[in-house]
Amino acid sequence: MTMNLEAFNRLLLELIGVGLAVFNAKTYEMIVSNPLFAEWFPLPENGPRKLTDIVPAIDPDKLGEKDDRFSTEVEVKVKRRTLTIAVKISLTRTIGPDGSDEEKALLVECNNITKVKELEYMIESYSELVEKNERQLRREKERAENLLLNVMPKAVYEELKDYGVITPTRYDKVSVLMLDFVAFTEMTISSDPTQLVSELNDIFTSFDRIVEQFGCERIKTISDAYMAVSGMPEANPDHAHNIACAAILFRRYIRERNRSSQVSWQCRIGVATGPVIGSMIGVQKYVYDIFGPGVNLAARMEALSDPMEITLCESTADIIGQDFNLENAGEAEVKGFGTQKLFKLPREAEQRSRRDLPNYLH
Amino acid sequence: MSFYDKVLYSDQVGDYFAETDMKRQIDHQTKFVAFIMGGPASYSDDMLRRVHARFEISRADFDEVATLLRTTLEEFDIERDDIDTIMYEIESRSPVIISG
Repeated sequence: MTMNLEAFNRLLLELIGVGLAVFNAKTYEMIVSNPLFAEWFPLPENGPRKLTDIVPAIDPDKLGEKDDRFSTEVEVKVKRRTLTIAVKISLTRTIGPDGSDEEKALLVECNNITKVKELEYMIESYSELVEKNERQLRREKERAENLLLNVMPKAVYEELKDYGVITPTRYDKVSVLMLDFVAFTEMTISSDPTQLVSELNDIFTSFDRIVEQFGCERIKTISDAYMAVSGMPEANPDHAHNIACAAILFRRYIRERNRSSQVSWQCRIGVATGPVIGSMIGVQKYVYDIFGPGVNLAARMEALSDPMEITLCESTADIIGQDFNLENAGEAEVKGFGTQKLFKLPREAEQRSRRDLPNYLH
Repeated sequence: MSFYDKVLYSDQVGDYFAETDMKRQIDHQTKFVAFIMGGPASYSDDMLRRVHARFEISRADFDEVATLLRTTLEEFDIERDDIDTIMYEIESRSPVIISG
């Protein structure tokens, strides 16, 4: 069986879609090409086809010196279709017709990579979409997370995330701080309410920082009242000490602030140590809250405070009496708790902490 | 022969795309198809009207491209339901695309 090798080769070349041409390496004029090459790069009307017309990027001087191969991509228009053609040019050395002289020719191989390119564009475009979407989702998640962290301690949020529920938990060794401002309601009426609320926001933001600094948790604010806790959700042996430090810094912050502010803020602070229960309350609109004797007692202590005073109950005083110079404030009848001994945390200037109270409190 | 070839070889609509930057065109079409299939992109009617207005596209042009797209999708064995969804969504936008 014989076959027309030339025809077979031609068919093969057309099938695999390689455009082939040979150019004179000296003049860059085309010597021969296959039909596909001719389709992509039709002969110019006047004169021979030069390689430099097809591949302007080629530097004739460089080829054949160091790199014998040169690859590039060019765009051609066939009818209305713009095709991307990958062009590979290689310098070939042939033996001259007389058998001795070496002649140089340039073999130009072309592949139609339009489809590959278009696929690349498509994938690029789609992955861009997906990435953008992911970024948006991540941002949304962060926002939701930050919102939730505003209404519950981080450890509680982690529990909610991992188990989907929060079990009400009893904590025994916890100290609670309650603060509110003297005559806040009257202040809102007498001054510019917008400015007042903005100042309150300012103050609470600073309180949040102080609370964080001492490893306490802000539980909530109700109007002008601020509630913080130490020793939960994570137990902390220094809960009473930490909350006392926060109380001192709260008062100090207010005093410093009043020096340069038009509005004079007067706070009352109550501190108590006792058991509390922490739980998520609500289904649609939920919030993390704490309940129990520790909370109630702190509220009573606060009510018994004079402006800019910090009042402690006996259970707190017992723990931190060693560390702070507390002032005995006698006894009072406390609703729900009977007769209670009261203690005051005097101005920090009079404090002499025997423990690691930060320097700026001395 | 895939969609872009079909469109470009079409005598009815090929000329519209003769000078098109294919990279941008592919970007838009990828996002558009992703969008009508419920993916993460969005094209408002206003936007579609704005970008197509200058071509003064006729009903015949629109139908030609829609038919070419349907044929292409069929050639690639896309699920019948998906093809119907895509074609329905595209047809529903014909009022903002056709202006000639």
